[in-house]
Amino acid sequence: MIETALIVETVVKAIIALAVIAGMAGFATFIERKVLAFMQRRLGPMHVGPYGLLQLAADGIKLFTKEDIIPQNVVKPIFMIAPVIAAASAFVAIAAVPYFPEFTVFGYTIHPIISDINVGLLFIMGAASVGMYAPLLAGLSSHNKWSLLGGARAVIQLLSFEVVSGLSILGPVMMIGSLSLINMNDYQIGGVANWLIWKQPLAFVLFAIAGFAETNRTPFDLIEFEAEIVSGYATEYSGMRWGLFFIGEYANMITISVLVSIIFLGGYNDIWIIPGAIAMLIKVSLWIFLFLWVRAAWPHVRPDQLMWVCWKVLMPLALINVLITGIVLV
Amino acid sequence: MSDIMVTIDGIKYKAREGESILKIARRNGVFIPAICYLTDCSPTLACRLCLVEIDGKRAYSCNAKAKEGMSVISSNEEIEVERKAIMEVYDINHPLECGVCDQSGECELQNYTLEMQRDEQSFSIADTSRPSHDWGFIHYDSSLCIVCERCVTVCKDMIGDSALKTVPRGGAVLDKSWKDTAPKDTYAMWNKLQKSLIGLASGGDTLECTNCGECTAVCPVGALVGSDFQYTSNAWELTKIPAANPHSSDCSLMYYDIKHTSIKDHKDKIYRVSNDFHFSTLHGGARYGYDFANEIDKKDEKAFKKAVKFFKEEADSIKFNSFITNEEAYILQKLKEKFGYKLVNDDAFAYKKFLQNYRQVSGKSLYSSNLRDVKDSNFVVSVGSFIKSDSPNTGYAINNAMTMNKGAGLYFHPIADPVVDGYSKNLMSISHQAGVEESILYLLLDLFGDKEAMPKSVVDYLASFHKTVKKTITEVVKEQVKEMVKDEESGEEKEVVKTVSKNVEKEIEVDVNSLYGVVGLPDDFDSKLTKFLAKKDKFSLIVGEDLYNHKRAENLAKLVGLIERFTDFNTLIIPTSTNTLGVSLICDLDESVGKKVIGYNEKADFALSALGKGDLDMPALNQQEGTFTAMDKRVVPTNVALQFNGYCLNDIANELGLDAENTIDYTPELGNIDGFKNEEFDDLPNEFENSGFENRGYLLEEKNLTCKDEIQEIKEVTFGDGDLVYLANPVMQFSAFTNKAHQLNEAGALYVSSDFLEKRGLKDGGMILLSNGDAKLAIALKLDMQIKGDIPYLPTFDSKLDVLPFFKDGYRFAKVEMKGVEK
Amino acid sequence: MELRGFKNRNVSPGYIFFEGEPKPLTSWEQFKRFLSRAVKGELFVGLWIVLREMIRFDIHTLQYPMEKLKMGPRYRAIHKLLRLFDSGSERCIGCGLCEKICISNCIKMDTKVDEKSRKLVTQYSINFGRCIFCGYCAEVCPELAIVHGSSYEHASEQRASFGLKEDMLTPLDKFKANKQKEFPGFGALSKDADKFVKKTPLAY
Ligand code: SF4
Ligand code: SF4
Ligand code: SF4
Ligand code: SF4
Ligand code: FES
Repeated sequence: MIETALIVETVVKAIIALAVIAGMAGFATFIERKVLAFMQRRLGPMHVGPYGLLQLAADGIKLFTKEDIIPQNVVKPIFMIAPVIAAASAFVAIAAVPYFPEFTVFGYTIHPIISDINVGLLFIMGAASVGMYAPLLAGLSSHNKWSLLGGARAVIQLLSFEVVSGLSILGPVMMIGSLSLINMNDYQIGGVANWLIWKQPLAFVLFAIAGFAETNRTPFDLIEFEAEIVSGYATEYSGMRWGLFFIGEYANMITISVLVSIIFLGGYNDIWIIPGAIAMLIKVSLWIFLFLWVRAAWPHVRPDQLMWVCWKVLMPLALINVLITGIVLV
Repeated sequence: MSDIMVTIDGIKYKAREGESILKIARRNGVFIPAICYLTDCSPTLACRLCLVEIDGKRAYSCNAKAKEGMSVISSNEEIEVERKAIMEVYDINHPLECGVCDQSGECELQNYTLEMQRDEQSFSIADTSRPSHDWGFIHYDSSLCIVCERCVTVCKDMIGDSALKTVPRGGAVLDKSWKDTAPKDTYAMWNKLQKSLIGLASGGDTLECTNCGECTAVCPVGALVGSDFQYTSNAWELTKIPAANPHSSDCSLMYYDIKHTSIKDHKDKIYRVSNDFHFSTLHGGARYGYDFANEIDKKDEKAFKKAVKFFKEEADSIKFNSFITNEEAYILQKLKEKFGYKLVNDDAFAYKKFLQNYRQVSGKSLYSSNLRDVKDSNFVVSVGSFIKSDSPNTGYAINNAMTMNKGAGLYFHPIADPVVDGYSKNLMSISHQAGVEESILYLLLDLFGDKEAMPKSVVDYLASFHKTVKKTITEVVKEQVKEMVKDEESGEEKEVVKTVSKNVEKEIEVDVNSLYGVVGLPDDFDSKLTKFLAKKDKFSLIVGEDLYNHKRAENLAKLVGLIERFTDFNTLIIPTSTNTLGVSLICDLDESVGKKVIGYNEKADFALSALGKGDLDMPALNQQEGTFTAMDKRVVPTNVALQFNGYCLNDIANELGLDAENTIDYTPELGNIDGFKNEEFDDLPNEFENSGFENRGYLLEEKNLTCKDEIQEIKEVTFGDGDLVYLANPVMQFSAFTNKAHQLNEAGALYVSSDFLEKRGLKDGGMILLSNGDAKLAIALKLDMQIKGDIPYLPTFDSKLDVLPFFKDGYRFAKVEMKGVEK
Repeated sequence: MELRGFKNRNVSPGYIFFEGEPKPLTSWEQFKRFLSRAVKGELFVGLWIVLREMIRFDIHTLQYPMEKLKMGPRYRAIHKLLRLFDSGSERCIGCGLCEKICISNCIKMDTKVDEKSRKLVTQYSINFGRCIFCGYCAEVCPELAIVHGSSYEHASEQRASFGLKEDMLTPLDKFKANKQKEFPGFGALSKDADKFVKKTPLAY
């Protein structure tokens, strides 16, 4: 009985998380356009719905109804499956992310996490890493030079920054002694002063930078840098398949925002009078806003600069951080 | 005229004595502004822009004759002031109408006003109403006229029609105060300008001239333009296609000015014909008869196959005329060599025979003169050419020789021609009986021949015409008589010597030449001729079409040969039509056709035609590139003005086994023929240089041959009593091609003089029935003011009229019976 | 052409040449540059500027089909042929100057002589497939007949749709309703044009 309930609950949660995250990802695109427009003294989408709100729906309809073009010389199955990997891995990663404090509805306590596994963080990072296959496969199968270049760039970028993000997060993990995100959240109960950011500032910065890189956001969006490689690995994609890549990217963005909020910024604990859930929403929103803000303000870096920063600056710093944490802990 | 040295602006140039300074300057690329001067015409000194300083004195360079050691300054400050003021005067009251003016863009007034940088006016005078006139082919807008008199000059000195003159302007009188303020020459030129405009010499409303349109060409401004061209195109939109006159054997350099037809129709169209008027003159046929192109939409493959089949299987002869290029003639000749077709071309055949006979006696492969020589000569004799219709350009050359070299001449033709009479007082027209040309040539031999060098038989024969006759003449003797006169006032008597004329009868011996009577020379011929011949040193003899088909053509040709050899005359044997000379040199012609005939622009069993009515369409001469052999013994190129979409002779030839991509691939092959050169078509130049040097095509090579003198005696050709009719085209018409042009299109008629109408009580436009044996023709009468006498002429240009049956033996005169037909 | 000619331009004094910062040669210099760039806060200046603009909310967007830009007088769009204000007859006299000056060679006109013995422009066309809207034609026109319009909405099934005389000429009804405006743009007389006119003496 308990098992059945668990299954039902998990499935329901999964569906809700999927729907909400997908919706948010879509909404994020709208917000992105608006924010970028405002920052550039434009209005952004205005015509569909009030203030262009329904632009999202229009885009959705467009993406869904567009012809699914599969170019002649692509490796068909791989070409078709790559976007699915992108979206799936992004959503799988979501499974181990707690969003809100637990709450009770009709006497039933709900944990807003699909599955609290004790190696949650590892799981998330692992699942997200699998997402790397999407650009790689897409690039290789597309029979297109831009795609190939884009795929290659994606792989080196993601692989490299995986190292940075992994190392940078080691510090907090060492302090908390758990890989479960709920434990991490709980570690920071007790107000802003208890946030891990104060104890691990370097780790926070490194993780944030790695987060930008792993989600292909400016200034690290070399993977689909139009001026150099058209649309990178997604060059040959259109319609819904392209949409899947897109959703994957935004879902990743949300995941990273949630992760940063939970690991470094006090998670879903109440702040002063602000309830935890709201605090969490605000934090995540601010992070997403930061992603957009940065995009509006900063230029790209070159691939060689990216590698240089990763291996010669960030990785040593992360190692130092681990070392210092260890020394302090011992 | 010897070579001298003249200095212009410090640089020495070679020149001929007596040449104008302007000519020397132009030849050497020294710029002296000049508006009113026309090469080969007399300077009018209307514009005074060509002012220069010669040895410290002002002179007009168009008029100043070069002398050894002259030093000329083309421009200095004083002259500049004068020139600028002159341009300002020209601009007074000149309507600001460049926007619509046809000359805009090639207007000399525009150009010089800009050249002299005039943007201000310092002179003024009340304007006069100057209306514009439509003079038929020509439109005159007097408000644009700057009275440079170029039109008047060209018409008189070059064309010989003298149809234009200056007339009073009726404008305000120039205020005397300008005399003090305006520069000297400016004032003088303004004074003259303010008094005149251009009008018709006839005083009527339409031009009664040969309508050459040369005045519209020379007009530096937009005052004289072709009525048909008026306001249809701006000068810069037109592309000039250099070509050669396709209608007559002068083959003058001319340009087809082409542009797209309209916004809706992008096909090219010829808008007008223009020329380099300083060096080449066009007649009306060339100027207005340009739109004879054969326009077809696409290749007619069926007809082409039929044509090839006809060539291969049926035809045994090809009949053509001389409105073809040398290359086409060459193709026909090659076809003859390959398939043995008979080549029949009546006019070239006659011409060829004539030339051959001439050659035998003269010892020269070609006649010795050309149009330039005629222009440069000062005594010209023309025999057997109805010159203003047959070869207007030769007429212009004669006129030019008369006016520019103070020349004199004799014009022998059965039909009196007021136009030719108008050339000069010193050109004696002799309207002789048809058929006496032999006597005329013998007479010329007698008058001008070198009796010592001539064969004895000829000298003896000539002597047989002379008789010494006693004659009583009345002579005026002047006697001086002394007389006493009483002075009335003083009452004194004085002896005064007075001269009194007395008539005295006297018997003298006179040498009478019986040829005079045969030819019908006037009584005072001898005395006139003596006057004519004073100070003459360059002689030209022009021989025309009448002789080639003459019953005595062979002997006539030989006589011309004798004249060439034993007199000072240089002869010009006018080729009948455009390329008669070329065809006669290139093709081996046959006398008559065989059973199945292909006609090229001729009626036949299978007709290839550029006129658009045949079995297979051919390109007209303005749709072809190739060369003509011009009267000047020059091979000149002509170019494609309009696209032709069908097949040409070369396509047929290729189908029959010849091999050339383009017709002009045969141009160098012409070198195989005596006289022609091996030159690529694309290497042939087609222009006049600044010096007037004719850099067009190449000259035929001439050869000296051994000569024989087998001359026959005169054999009379008479027609007896009754009416004669002559075969000729009216002015401006040369063939069905000119008649196809929209400006020239007309129905053929029997062209008659007013004498003719009067004598018979007929009316212009009435009908008449002509008959001669089998040939019968009811035809309208058309009054031609430009002929006199009793012989009317029948034209060939109207393909609806078949007049040739009247002239069965080819001779241009035929006897007919005329019956007035009631309308 | 060789590039040297372009590089050795003899530019007049007053130009300031910016060579860029010296390139870091050693890794240490590179690291220093990285640090200075990262820490100096330049990045935050960028962030601040875009944020500031967002807060100011000074939006420049023109919502096109609903709102439209008013073009300046010198804007050069599809041409118009004007009429004379007093008589209403066409201004173009067919002088062909526009045709001559047009660098794209896209103006054509048909002219003829009319019954009154004047030059009549029967058709006038501009090939807008070729026109580069340089304005030379309007500038050269002595009659101010061909001018540039200011309307920039030119979608049509055929590019020929705007290029004939009937498309460009002010329609008579519009003209009668006094709707033809004098053209102030390219080629029009300047306000002080009178000052430059030299008077021609007249004898009466
Ligand atoms: S004649 Fe020459 S200057 Fe006079 S209106 Fe015509 S183009 Fe202009
Ligand atoms: S009509 Fe022309 S050529 Fe004749 S005088 Fe006038 S301007 Fe000169
Ligand atoms: S705007 Fe320029 S390109 Fe266009 S028609 Fe006028 S001159 Fe020609
Ligand atoms: S420049 Fe003006 S007047 Fe002249 S043709 Fe062109 S539009 Fe007409
Ligand atoms: S050219 Fe000599 S006066 Fe006109």
